Amino acid sequence: MSTEVKVVSPAPMTVATPLKDAAAVAARINEKFANAASVVDGSLMVDSSQLVAVATLLRDDPGIGADFLEDLTSIDWPDRFEVVYHLYNLTRQEGPLRMKVRADKADPRVPSTVPVWPGADLMEREVYDMMGITFAGHPNLKRILMWEGFQGHPLRKDWKEAYFEEEKKPFDQRWPEGALVRAENRTPFKDNIVLPSGFDPTKYTPPAEDNVPLVEYNQPLSGEMKSQTLIVNMGPQHPSTHGVFRMRVRLDGERIVDLQPVIGYMHRNHEKIGERNAWLMNMPYTDRLDYLCSMGNNFGYAIAVEKLMPDIKVPERAEYLRVIMAEFTRIVNHFFALGQLLSDMGAFFTPMLYAIEEREWMLDLFEMASGSRMMCNYARFGGVARDVPPEFMPLANKLVNDRLPRAIDRFDDYIATSEIVLARAQNVGILTKEQAIALSTVGPVLRASGVPYDVRRAEPYSIYDRFDFDIPIGTVGDVYDRYLVRIAEMRESVRILKQALRDIPAGEIFAGRKGWQVKIQKGEAYGRIENPKGATGFYVVSDGGTNPYRYHIHAPSFINIGALGTMAKGHTVADTVIILGSVDIVLGELDR
Amino acid sequence: MSEDILLIVIKVAVLIVILLTVVAYTVYVERRIMARMQSRIGPNRVGPFGLLQPLADILKLIFKEDLTPAGADKVTYFLAPALAAITGLAAFAVIPFGNTIDLFGIKVNLFIADINVGLLYLFAMSSLAVYGIVLAGWSSNNKYSLLGGVRSSAQMISYELPLGLALVSVVLAAGSLSLGDIVKAQANLWFIVQQPLSFVIYFICAIAETNRAPFDLPEAETELIAGYHTEYSSLKWALFFLAEYMAVITVSATAVTIFFGGWQGPFLPGWLWFVIKLSGFIFFFTWMRATLPRLRFDQLMRLGWKVLLPLAALNLVVIAGLVAAMGG
Repeated sequence: MSTEVKVVSPAPMTVATPLKDAAAVAARINEKFANAASVVDGSLMVDSSQLVAVATLLRDDPGIGADFLEDLTSIDWPDRFEVVYHLYNLTRQEGPLRMKVRADKADPRVPSTVPVWPGADLMEREVYDMMGITFAGHPNLKRILMWEGFQGHPLRKDWKEAYFEEEKKPFDQRWPEGALVRAENRTPFKDNIVLPSGFDPTKYTPPAEDNVPLVEYNQPLSGEMKSQTLIVNMGPQHPSTHGVFRMRVRLDGERIVDLQPVIGYMHRNHEKIGERNAWLMNMPYTDRLDYLCSMGNNFGYAIAVEKLMPDIKVPERAEYLRVIMAEFTRIVNHFFALGQLLSDMGAFFTPMLYAIEEREWMLDLFEMASGSRMMCNYARFGGVARDVPPEFMPLANKLVNDRLPRAIDRFDDYIATSEIVLARAQNVGILTKEQAIALSTVGPVLRASGVPYDVRRAEPYSIYDRFDFDIPIGTVGDVYDRYLVRIAEMRESVRILKQALRDIPAGEIFAGRKGWQVKIQKGEAYGRIENPKGATGFYVVSDGGTNPYRYHIHAPSFINIGALGTMAKGHTVADTVIILGSVDIVLGELDR
Repeated sequence: MSEDILLIVIKVAVLIVILLTVVAYTVYVERRIMARMQSRIGPNRVGPFGLLQPLADILKLIFKEDLTPAGADKVTYFLAPALAAITGLAAFAVIPFGNTIDLFGIKVNLFIADINVGLLYLFAMSSLAVYGIVLAGWSSNNKYSLLGGVRSSAQMISYELPLGLALVSVVLAAGSLSLGDIVKAQANLWFIVQQPLSFVIYFICAIAETNRAPFDLPEAETELIAGYHTEYSSLKWALFFLAEYMAVITVSATAVTIFFGGWQGPFLPGWLWFVIKLSGFIFFFTWMRATLPRLRFDQLMRLGWKVLLPLAALNLVVIAGLVAAMGG
């Protein structure tokens, strides 16, 4: 069994890309299904009654080949709902094709695309939960982020949270004349937590499926021995779920028959808060999505919003600084992920602490640049917040040229050849190439399954087209491959950093006028970057106002968790833990 | 006769106090060593060099709330930690930890009892220890505890076989089951030199018997929260902790006695040699815990039944043949 990591360098596509040409795609669809598709504002508008047929055509037609559904979300317009799909082709490395489906305001109903793109499962559940759009034909349409008894759909524009103050920040009433009045005394909505009729929270018991007795089913499994399956709730309080995350596992002995992720414990309606915030206020808020990659999240949000600011041209030095920070973030995240994975395997924190030791040096750099070690809030629309101090470059050069390569090699040498690690990680949690694409996985999980897809190469943003780097891919798609891919990616990041630190010019770091409010033109944009955990997308819709009309985050942790059940089936409890560790999730962005 | 009994009672009392202190400081030393290995500092706040840390920990544990889960089997839940701790302490009774010394004109043997089936007694006690864990896992009425208990019984039973076979080959060479005689048989040559394979098999099995890394599956914290003692708190939990470290000390002491010449050594007094050798083993246990990831359960079982057991059986046959050939 070969577990070498292959390194490939797919060239960015230069040929005309049919997926980006919505009009051509619409024409192709209309050849088969009359009047099923049209083009509105550059997006493909599909008639909802023919959605599944059109989606199948989009996926299977060799001229279109939209085999990868990256993101699925929805917008609540005053007169209608819109479900928005972002489609890509991974082999030709092109996209996105933005497809929209309209739904009726009174009874929003759209056919489910899970049969076409299985990765739509969790995303459709999220839209159902948050926006109240029913996906007909979805296999398991239940609430996902909110709890089962919740009334209402929090992302709808008419939904008001408890202690609602005003539609948009900055709130005028935060600065009243004279004495402070507390929000809970000021607002008429202080009791607007709506409970189902006849519901008493003190007598609530969870649904039967969550509240199962120790031994649940008496029916024998196949085979001669009469045995019973056992349902174990791993989490939300469990040392290895990396936060308040729950896996409902059905066990036959120690073998996993079925695994379902249960999420939403840390849900705080990030997107709704983001829609109340002014554009720039969301910049520090993106830090909180993923405490390991705040620099990357800032970067992604800035890219998305800058697409709606055509006058802005980010200065060279700022682009370099953003890339330097993003690549350091990748090394920080991968060190942490690998340390955590080995801790999950039972190596009693030693690799974890060795990894954290290296991470501290990079956090020092972040602190120099932004003033904060973890919540950096560094990018701005049109540049970065401030230039780096003079002592930044010597330390960065020392780390990149000396310390980090040695640390990565050491990590590789000590651990990657250990017999116990090999025995634990090889051929565990296999995700094939086809499954990885169908389940819409992103980042190291996708690449470890052998798909050479990296946003930095496929859709070069910022100045990534200038750097020389390779994309490591796995051959088997098991936990060990994900491990090796991460180590190889750290090496590639060091390569990029060497080039960036060598080439960084002097000059301005910010374009445009400084101020807390920015002018964003009307429109929509999907900006995405290759964050350490995978492609992170920011879908922003502007109505020309001071706040985003819609602010949606495509979080890699959320989408990768959809593949967990497929990976874990047939393995043992001990394997589940390391499979979850190899996916590398952060609950902040998983639950949003 | 009554003086003898008095002497034994005093010895038992003193030994228990010493052992409890040793356990407490083993934990302290383990934490300090592991901290160094992980580029940390470790406990250094309570007393000079943190030396009073074990006392602080014990005090804290005493004052913790003692919880019993509503669905637990009360009697068994109460008995399980006691069973684990008692068997752990009782096993040490047969281990000779020094030569005879003169104390106030009385000859004192530095062991509690040199019974002629000492090794068998050790086995019996370590086998009984599994009951503490299994009963704890069962009576807690918690799925993680149950899985931990089940794992533990399977693991300890599987590894007892090769462990026993490895020791039987030593018994063949020494010609006695008494630990005192086994120590005396090593006056000229330690059994580690004569039978290195027996030692390797014994030591691997001993790690598994004591549920220590990399075989710490019954309490694998990343999978089963804390395994069989998930639901235990306060002193009941402390008893499991005591039992685990007592088991480490006992298997280390057994290894010293059977393979490393026991208390014998030049220049220094016997008990000091014993302590030095024992410390080496405890350091090794700590070192492994800080270094190695954990095996998976099925891999652990495969190692026990498919590798160690045949190897131990083969080793026994060869040793028996050699002993017979030399006219033993």
